[in-house]
Amino acid sequence: MSFEPRILGILCNWCSYAGADLAGTSRIHYPPNVRIIRVMCSARVDPTFVVKALVSGADGVLICGCHPGDCHYSEGNYKTMRRIPLLKKVLKDFGIEDERVRLEWISASEGQRFADIVKDMTERIRVLGPSHVACELHADPRER
Amino acid sequence: MKAKIGVYICHCGSNIAKIVDCEAVREYISTLPEVAIARTYKYMCSNPGQDLIVQDIKEHGLQRVVVAACSPRMHERTFRAALQAAGLNPYMFEMANIREQCSWVHDDPQAATEKAKALAQAAVRRVVHHEALEQMTVDMCPNTLVIGAGIAGLTATLELAEAGQKVFLLEKQDHLGGNLARVDLTAPYLDSARDLLIERITRVRSSGNIELLLNSRLQQLQGYVGNFTATLSRTGHDGPGTGKIREIQVGNVIVCTGYREFAAERVTHFGYGKLPDVITSFDFEKMLQAGRIECCDGTIPKYAAIIHCVGSRSAEFHGYCSRVCCMTALKYVHEIKSAVPSCYVSDLYIDMHAFGKGHEDFYRRTSEVKTMFLMFGKGDHPIIRSAGPKDDCKMLIEVNEQLSGELIEIPADLVILMVGMEAQEDAMETARLVNISQDKEGWFIESHPKLDPVATTTDGIFIAGTCVAPKDIPDTVAQARAAAARILARIAKGKIAVDAVYAEISDDACSGCRICNELCPYSAIEYDDKKKRSHVISAMCKACGACVAACPSGAIKGRHFTDQQILAQIEGVLR
Repeated sequence: MSFEPRILGILCNWCSYAGADLAGTSRIHYPPNVRIIRVMCSARVDPTFVVKALVSGADGVLICGCHPGDCHYSEGNYKTMRRIPLLKKVLKDFGIEDERVRLEWISASEGQRFADIVKDMTERIRVLGPSHVACELHADPRER
Repeated sequence: MKAKIGVYICHCGSNIAKIVDCEAVREYISTLPEVAIARTYKYMCSNPGQDLIVQDIKEHGLQRVVVAACSPRMHERTFRAALQAAGLNPYMFEMANIREQCSWVHDDPQAATEKAKALAQAAVRRVVHHEALEQMTVDMCPNTLVIGAGIAGLTATLELAEAGQKVFLLEKQDHLGGNLARVDLTAPYLDSARDLLIERITRVRSSGNIELLLNSRLQQLQGYVGNFTATLSRTGHDGPGTGKIREIQVGNVIVCTGYREFAAERVTHFGYGKLPDVITSFDFEKMLQAGRIECCDGTIPKYAAIIHCVGSRSAEFHGYCSRVCCMTALKYVHEIKSAVPSCYVSDLYIDMHAFGKGHEDFYRRTSEVKTMFLMFGKGDHPIIRSAGPKDDCKMLIEVNEQLSGELIEIPADLVILMVGMEAQEDAMETARLVNISQDKEGWFIESHPKLDPVATTTDGIFIAGTCVAPKDIPDTVAQARAAAARILARIAKGKIAVDAVYAEISDDACSGCRICNELCPYSAIEYDDKKKRSHVISAMCKACGACVAACPSGAIKGRHFTDQQILAQIEGVLR
């Protein structure tokens, strides 16, 4: 069977989750590989969430927030903008490829953009193959 | 004790069920140890659907509930209320979004069903860790701030003031009436815009409950629903009170900032700004208000032409329809024909949008007054050129007429461009000040486009009229009144429940490092010098969670978005 990446999406409630909902109401199709959870603001994304996802079998983590300047909480996404690159630096030392963790800004009106990003990320991770974290922690990660 | 969870999988008619095998999801979810009952139903949000949950809670002693259906942004409130009706704390609930983020976006039934299972499982894992939260109630300040004094702002203001409530009506210009004050007659009944406005303005000016703030702008809005502090400043170059800052207390805000007209010079092919007798609809309104239809040289036009969709319904400018221009164009036909009966009027359109009450009738009546209707293609446009000395007109318009399939040339002395509506220049600034969102065209976004059209995602901030999207006067007035009615209902209650979701700091775990103090965008975290601990002022916290993620001691708990809840959800969704 071909490799189907498993991607966790962590979306902020006000812009990105609404954008993903808009993709739905507009019937814009994208691969089913992404599974979404909702936080109020991307600034709530604790680095441990990303680590937890990777050890729980995620091949990638997509974090989405409002565009800079548009945060529902004025400046939460600026914190995310600084935190995630730092986290990626640490993850790199553990051999986790840069493309597995992705931070994107998606507004409530960008349903198409959300679908495009999911498509792109799914394809990139498909090429990259399964995450070695998942492989090492679980004997057969696809069987869980 | 094992948690007793009820899980309900919604078919949403066929919206979910045609892609997701709901029965397979139910079977899978039933195998989870915490799940006591799992059911599927056609419409969970319907009354019988909600009753199903209420009955099960009562009969089977369910402690927690999961509904796998549409987006929580749609129906979380509905189901929380159902839990409450059954005597369960509304926060013992979680929703799995298997419609907007599953059945509507995937076409492979097997993959969609697997994903729906994962989403439902994640919700079960999460809800296990939910805690009963008590909602806070706060006093509702009965004052309202209305921003913009066009027809929407005036109407909303009167509705509130005449119900006995205090209103601050803010207008950046030095006069009332907004864009409608620039209009002569209105379509389709040809009554005067001035009459509509004067009646309203007189009532506004004579009301004791309205404080009119002309030449004024909102500088800052702080606080939360029921308790906003608005900082206002006087604009203008000089005159009394310029730059003066003032603070007012309001419970709710209605944004009625309207639209601006599309700048016709952006469409270069019509020669606006170069050919003096090519004018915009607003230039023409000015002419009508002055009472004389004439060309730039003072002569009366023998031929007039009206061109629709300037800046609207185009790939280059705005994709949307501005909704009012078609009927306004027909109104011009009537006004020209009544002022200059001998004038030959041509109307060049792409499609005639006559959607509203009385509009189709108006279209029919207009075609009876000898108007030449010419249809041009979307993506195409008529070509205007100056006429030669032998022609008895100033300009010639060439149009690829769609109905006849012929290239037609028509004479014109005066060309009126029907310019569309666009979002105000300062719409982004306004959106940021009151913390609401804009769509890709710059219009303000509603809480729900169909079911909650005048509320926004920020509680206490309402929107009405053409700042939301192009619309005509009846729709604008309806929205303004709706927003006012929503606020009056809240004022009548006197108190408002605010979400029980906020951050808490554990005194035992806090090290007093103060990292969180600076992070909070609402200055809701205070440092207690005696205890050497930080603490959250819960009424000021908006629950973004920025401090929760940053605390090096893990001392801050984001209620209803705890680490435990989110980590359990992550584990569940990836299985």
